[in-house]
Amino acid sequence: MRFIFRMALRELRSSWRRLAFFFVCVAIGVGSIVALRSLIQNVRVALTAEARTLTAGDVYLRGDRPWTEETLAAVRRRLAAQPGGARTDTVDTVTMVRLPDESSVRTKVVELRGVQEAFPFYGQMELRSGRPYDPALLDDWGALVAPDLLAQLDLRVGDPIAIGGAEFTIRDVIDTEPGRQLGAFAFGPRVLVAYDAVEATGLLGLGSRAEYQMLLRIGDEAAIDPLVDGLRADLEEQFVRVGSYRRTENRIERNLGRAENYLSLIGFVVVILGGIGVWSVTRVFVQQRLRSVAVLKCLGATTSRVLAIYVAQVALLGLGGATLGVGFAQAALSAVPASLAEQAAAAAGIAAVSTDLTPSAVVQGIGVGVLVSVLFALVPLLDVRHVKPLLLLRQGQVEPPPGIDWLRVGATAAVGAGLVAVAGWQAASLEVGLYVVVGFVSVAVALHAIGRALVTAVRPLAASRLFALRHAVLNLTRPGNQTRVVLLAVGLGSFFIIGVRAVQTNLLAGFALELREDMPDMFLIDIQQDQAEGVRALLEEAGAGSGGGVPELIPVLRARVTGVQGEETSIEGRRAVRRAGFGREYTVTYRAHLEDNERVVAGRFWDAERSVVPEVSIEENLHEEGIDLGDRVRFDVLGREIEAVVTSVRDVEWDDTRSGGFMFLFRPGTFDEAPHTFIAFLQGPREEEARARLQRDIVARYANVSVIDGLTVIGTVRRVLGYVTRAITVVGGIALLAGVLILVGSVAMTKFQRMYEAAVFKTLGASSRALITMYALEYGVLGTLAGLVGAVGAMGLTWTMSSRLLDVPWQVAPGIAVVGVAVTALLVGVVGVASSTDVLRRKPLATLRAE
Amino acid sequence: MGRMRSCCWGVALVLSLAACGPLADGVEGPAPIAGNSVPPAATAAPLAETPAGERPRIVILGDSLTAGLGLPAAEAYPARLQERIDVAGWPFEIVSAAVSGDTSAGGLRRLAWALEGDVRLLVVALGGNDALRGLPVEQMRDNLAAIVDEAADRRIAVLLAGMEAPPNFGPSYTSSFRNVFRDLAGSRDLTLLPFLLEGVAGVPALNQADGIHPNAAGAERVAAHVWTALEPLLGRLGDERSKTSERVSDRP
Repeated sequence: MRFIFRMALRELRSSWRRLAFFFVCVAIGVGSIVALRSLIQNVRVALTAEARTLTAGDVYLRGDRPWTEETLAAVRRRLAAQPGGARTDTVDTVTMVRLPDESSVRTKVVELRGVQEAFPFYGQMELRSGRPYDPALLDDWGALVAPDLLAQLDLRVGDPIAIGGAEFTIRDVIDTEPGRQLGAFAFGPRVLVAYDAVEATGLLGLGSRAEYQMLLRIGDEAAIDPLVDGLRADLEEQFVRVGSYRRTENRIERNLGRAENYLSLIGFVVVILGGIGVWSVTRVFVQQRLRSVAVLKCLGATTSRVLAIYVAQVALLGLGGATLGVGFAQAALSAVPASLAEQAAAAAGIAAVSTDLTPSAVVQGIGVGVLVSVLFALVPLLDVRHVKPLLLLRQGQVEPPPGIDWLRVGATAAVGAGLVAVAGWQAASLEVGLYVVVGFVSVAVALHAIGRALVTAVRPLAASRLFALRHAVLNLTRPGNQTRVVLLAVGLGSFFIIGVRAVQTNLLAGFALELREDMPDMFLIDIQQDQAEGVRALLEEAGAGSGGGVPELIPVLRARVTGVQGEETSIEGRRAVRRAGFGREYTVTYRAHLEDNERVVAGRFWDAERSVVPEVSIEENLHEEGIDLGDRVRFDVLGREIEAVVTSVRDVEWDDTRSGGFMFLFRPGTFDEAPHTFIAFLQGPREEEARARLQRDIVARYANVSVIDGLTVIGTVRRVLGYVTRAITVVGGIALLAGVLILVGSVAMTKFQRMYEAAVFKTLGASSRALITMYALEYGVLGTLAGLVGAVGAMGLTWTMSSRLLDVPWQVAPGIAVVGVAVTALLVGVVGVASSTDVLRRKPLATLRAE
Repeated sequence: MGRMRSCCWGVALVLSLAACGPLADGVEGPAPIAGNSVPPAATAAPLAETPAGERPRIVILGDSLTAGLGLPAAEAYPARLQERIDVAGWPFEIVSAAVSGDTSAGGLRRLAWALEGDVRLLVVALGGNDALRGLPVEQMRDNLAAIVDEAADRRIAVLLAGMEAPPNFGPSYTSSFRNVFRDLAGSRDLTLLPFLLEGVAGVPALNQADGIHPNAAGAERVAAHVWTALEPLLGRLGDERSKTSERVSDRP
């Protein structure tokens, strides 16, 4: 045993310089894994905290009627099985706030929420006075209100308000509120009171519109999903919706889920990239040791002893490199995401991202480093068992004997299984892992096949008269060539880098839409035709506009489709009704132009002239449902029949909400006579006072118009998405950098096999220039091919991720692909040549002698 | 297509107020045209077989309750009323002038459009959305008054269907809301159906999952309820010749 270690150390000492390079390569691979995995875990912790704040609990149950005994019993039973489980209830209803003074006619529709003492389980309620939230504030008919209520009713903290049959005192103003369901835009300002007080107002009688919510806190994170599934099964018969902070219907939380999946993707990819880095180092290292193995065998060392020496050596090397990598990771993390942590802290309420390494990431990184190096050392070394030393000394190829070598298979399987376990450990989504592995295997197979094909394809060029070309080809095809190795490393590397980049672009494009500065934050509905001018004037006066310009009022009508090409359409069965969601009544509009979020995909959009014959443009989905260009669609509009010809098909980007989206868009002229209302998507005044004043003015003059203020909700969406975007950009950036470094290392590695041949060429009179051309050709071809395969694979990966996991529209990102291929080719060429320059500079004799 | 496509942020988000009902109507669902097998008919599409305006009309001015939100048109209560009228042998055609999400203010503005043709009776079934949005009752009173007065000017009989505001708006709102219909019917001497959803509202078996809109069975109940007030009025609508000589129900 001691001999083994002494030999291992002696070997390491003898080639210290060269080892330093290996060392760094392993360190970069492992460092990338540790740094990114840590960062991802930290970001995930922060995102989880954010998602919990949005829900204010781990699990929620919502329903629009009081809980039935069955529901309560099921919750009690399930909760009793959870150590540390807790429950708190809330109830929401839309109601009317009056001034207690009976003579006053000032009233305001508000969103009343009753909460119990334990609310919220997660997140902080922030009050304008700066004092911490205390449930005692709600005791004895206390109320906390949103700032706009004060502005609209001209009230102050300390004033009394009447709700139902009870009188409350305003105790403070709410600035931010956890558990505010982001899906719901408020029809009025929030008023928060004690749960029991809501019941005491008498507002929750038979026929009341109220939403009841139970929030559960579960001690054990892993118990949440089974609990949700269990409750869903228990309450199938009840009108209850069950979800958790991670499984909700709404959009922002879905976006958090997308971000998680993306991070998970990077987590897997970086493990594989790191593994490739370590692999390419180990491979060269072991090849260079084969000679020493032969010498040792000649001197009488047993095979097992030789194996032990080199495996120990490689393991030591891997461990050392991995440890250095942890140091790299620490340095990288403390430098890069400082901005991220600051930004997060600045945005109140968002958990700051820690920049510490997480222990699991460290263990994982080291595990991957050691396992990969041992795996790729073990396999070639096992081959050595059967090889006669003389063959090795003669620099012959190691040809394994025919038949299955079970030891080799077993060792490979064992270490491989260990690797899979390490890679899957702590991953958020094994599904992502599956896609990555499938992508990895298919790209590897493709690269292998292409490598073979390339060798065959270029062989005829070996007869070329050009020295550089001839030898470049010979280099690609000679026995023991590096073609497949470089192709594999670079191809897989570019596959993952391009893939991650493209997925990120797709993901962020979706976020960018929601982060736009001109997103509407105020919505008006039910503006009547005779009120349109007046409302528009009020809006203009207050500085509210659509898409940065003047306020645009959109005419809307309700229409039912009664026939297509004369056929009566009918909805068959209940399921169809469900699918249709809202019956087949559509909100339709008319205008002479296309909005920014629309694109005509078939037919021709009308010009500004008014139509004589009714014309309609349909959304793509309707086209898929069977309505074609030129079809006559019959509508029932307010009891009258209108038949319109479909003259174009539009694709609507539904996530871009600046001007809404309509399934049916009519050419102006059709509805000249028809009564219709207007809606508006606006950016209201930014300033709180002006905003409240505008709402008050509109409602005072046009009582039927409802103003829906989305500023708070949109503010939260912006904040969270902005934060997620930054996190993703930083993580993606580090992943890119790490990936490139690893690739550079892998390519540079190959120079050790060149030294000897370069020396021979130079001795025989080849100029450095000819050699450089030769290398450039060889590496350039390899880089281009690897980049191409990688890019194609990456598009596949992006498509799978986008459609299966991220649920974002897939966009071919040709820019990224083209740049990816070009950069890969250039990088491989430049690194290949550059890493050979010192080979070229060296005196050939030195190299020949050293060998 | 499985994903809910929404018309816009704002309106989509109103959807989560689904508890608050017809307002959510503003959402564009994915709304497939039923049965993907729309055959490409070669012939020109005929309009409704019976040309509009031939039969005397009964117009129902309403909201999503009348439009039959979530139901096929044939199962909404106006279609059910039409069946009863046909069976009883009356010549009238029921026209459903319903707009989901519409308030009394909207109803007033589209009255002229709805009253086109030979209209004998106007059923006013509005107020549900005024209630769900907590709109001022004074405004609703003015709107409804203007609607019935306009009908009176045109010598069209009126059946006023009342609505109840949900209790969450507080007792003073709900009672003054209820009184609007009573007072209006009293002052104009109108036939009043005090509550359109009598016997249907609040009964889970008769409503859709949203707890607001009647299901097919509920719509049938609403039709039966409206029929109690409508049937006695039919004989007084216009001249006697409008009554067909042979009653369909008398046929063997």
